[in-house]
Amino acid sequence: MSKNSESPVKFEIDDEQGYLIVRFSGEIDLYGTPHAREVILNCINAERNTVIDLSAVTYIDSSGVASLVEGYQQAKNQQLEFGLINISDAVQNVLELAHLDKVFSIHASLDERIQAS
Amino acid sequence: MKPIHKNAPPSTALDQQLALLARITQEFATSLDIEETLGIAIKQIMVNMHAEAASIFLLENNDTELVCRTCAGPIQLTGLRLAADHGIIGNTVKHNAVQMVLDVSTAPDFTAQVDAQTGFTTRSILCAPLTVKDKKLGAIELINKKTDNGLFIEDDQHILTALASSAALAIHNAEMATALIEQERIQHELALAREIQANLLPSVPTNHFPVHGYNLPMREVSGDFYDYFTLPDGRIVFNLADVSGKGMNASLLMAKTSSLFHCLGKTQTSPGQLLHMINNEVHENSTRGMFVTMVGGIFDPSNNEVRLANAGHQPPMLQFADGHFEEILGQSPPLGIMPDIQFPETNLQLADGTLYIYTDGVTESQQNGKMLGEAGFQAMINAHRDKPVAARITAMFESLQREGRELHDDVTVLVIENKPQTPSLTLSVPAKANYIKDLRDSARDVVLAAGSSKEQADSIVLAISEAASNVIQHAYKGDDGDIELNIHVDSSIAPDQLVISLRDYADTIDINEVRSRALDDVRPGGLGVHFMKQLMDNLVYTVPEDGRGNRLEMRITINE
Repeated sequence: MSKNSESPVKFEIDDEQGYLIVRFSGEIDLYGTPHAREVILNCINAERNTVIDLSAVTYIDSSGVASLVEGYQQAKNQQLEFGLINISDAVQNVLELAHLDKVFSIHASLDERIQAS
Repeated sequence: MKPIHKNAPPSTALDQQLALLARITQEFATSLDIEETLGIAIKQIMVNMHAEAASIFLLENNDTELVCRTCAGPIQLTGLRLAADHGIIGNTVKHNAVQMVLDVSTAPDFTAQVDAQTGFTTRSILCAPLTVKDKKLGAIELINKKTDNGLFIEDDQHILTALASSAALAIHNAEMATALIEQERIQHELALAREIQANLLPSVPTNHFPVHGYNLPMREVSGDFYDYFTLPDGRIVFNLADVSGKGMNASLLMAKTSSLFHCLGKTQTSPGQLLHMINNEVHENSTRGMFVTMVGGIFDPSNNEVRLANAGHQPPMLQFADGHFEEILGQSPPLGIMPDIQFPETNLQLADGTLYIYTDGVTESQQNGKMLGEAGFQAMINAHRDKPVAARITAMFESLQREGRELHDDVTVLVIENKPQTPSLTLSVPAKANYIKDLRDSARDVVLAAGSSKEQADSIVLAISEAASNVIQHAYKGDDGDIELNIHVDSSIAPDQLVISLRDYADTIDINEVRSRALDDVRPGGLGVHFMKQLMDNLVYTVPEDGRGNRLEMRITINE
């Protein structure tokens, strides 16, 4: 588990049931995105199945969405799993706006994701 | 004097005279200083026409006097004034005909008055009128020909007639030029007067200030004025006045009265007492028949109370929040007519209403011979009622001046209104990613205050955030700069529209390059413009008026 308190985007990473769970909190905008992107890509580059928990993300903009898209594409290329869980209304609305709510695999929790697969 | 042609035969008297005529005519035609030219010309005429003395007399004093403007010869006559019908010269002018008197001792018109004064002996006179078209200017007079017999001949008469007509034209042109210069001087002084007058009016307040005024003078200077200023306790002293008559005298009385108001109003905060004092001052040394109508008062923004007194001015109109109008009547006479008058005060609760104080130039403006009147003025107010005060006044005056409406008098309006302000925001932040949150937080507050739902506020904040990100990444490209955000409510195009604009000072970007990507193209980046288009009703990119940078204007109807 690691923690970052310097960035406007905070995160915790847990290793559960074969997945890395990245729990972001705060606002992912142009300022926070580079950091969030780095965290996501590090997980993929470690060749781990990754789920992003977005329950504590109160704001996400197109750059934040773009970093999720990048993680999704990178994972797909490396035949890894990439999913979103427990997304807040704020994130849901923006994903719908981007017509990406059907592109990502989105589940209420990691357990639900494992059950669905 | 040289002959005109090198091969000409020895010059005759006629040749000499023709040459003189040509030269003097030329000098007159190009003269800038008519007095000097006349002075030189009269000497040349005297010498070349072999006269002992010569002089030019011009009509002055409504053509009742002939005044010697220049002369040549042994006697100095310049400045001499004769009655316009005096002697041979008077006759010349009166009959507009050349007079040649060979022997003055036998001439019935000759008066020896000048000779008696000067000691000069006049024997013969040749006198030609100076006229332009039918306008008599005066006459040119030659005295005593220096020949053996001392007599002028017929040739002299022709030459002098020709010289007189070109001299007359030169004098006439010079007078016209002087009149023109004088007119320009007066115009210049009126412009200065107007500038001074304009400076007597208070400077334009901020939109949030509860008192606004407007004055449109019909001439260079105005007889109308208004004033307002804030006392240390926050109350606002105001007035609007109309000086009887127009033009310079009215504007001078205006300057005096407005100065009295501005000075006395700082210590005397009872409008009735203030008008009482000003009335006595104006009356004490006012020009007969001139007076000033005035509404003076004090407004307390903390409780929206207006206290005013009216000196013979037309009743102000109070429009209540529900839209109906009420006239605020008063019975006192104008300022400056009689001393020691009491000016009763009226107390008003402005609430969310609006007080309009105006001059009759507004209601008496005409369209197709029909006066605007109070009802027309009220209709004009209602047509622009939704606008903020400053914009409303501008719009009302534009419509007053449109459509061939004739304004016969100065038009002046003072408006007092203290409605709760619609929320608005103007914020400038550095174009750096860590400042976008500040824009979002400030925008969210003002948008919620303007009446947006939480969901709509989320959408607007996202659009602003995307727009700011684009400015940072694509306009400034990481360079330092500022982003200015403005949010306000505008109901002029459609009701309850939020107008959100972002302005930068980066290089102007090609709008065609600002486009959203196809959504089936799943890749990072390019989503921002798509978001903005989805979230807002309208998106317009423009180059700001000053030609620098870019402006994005987004509109959305509050909770449509």
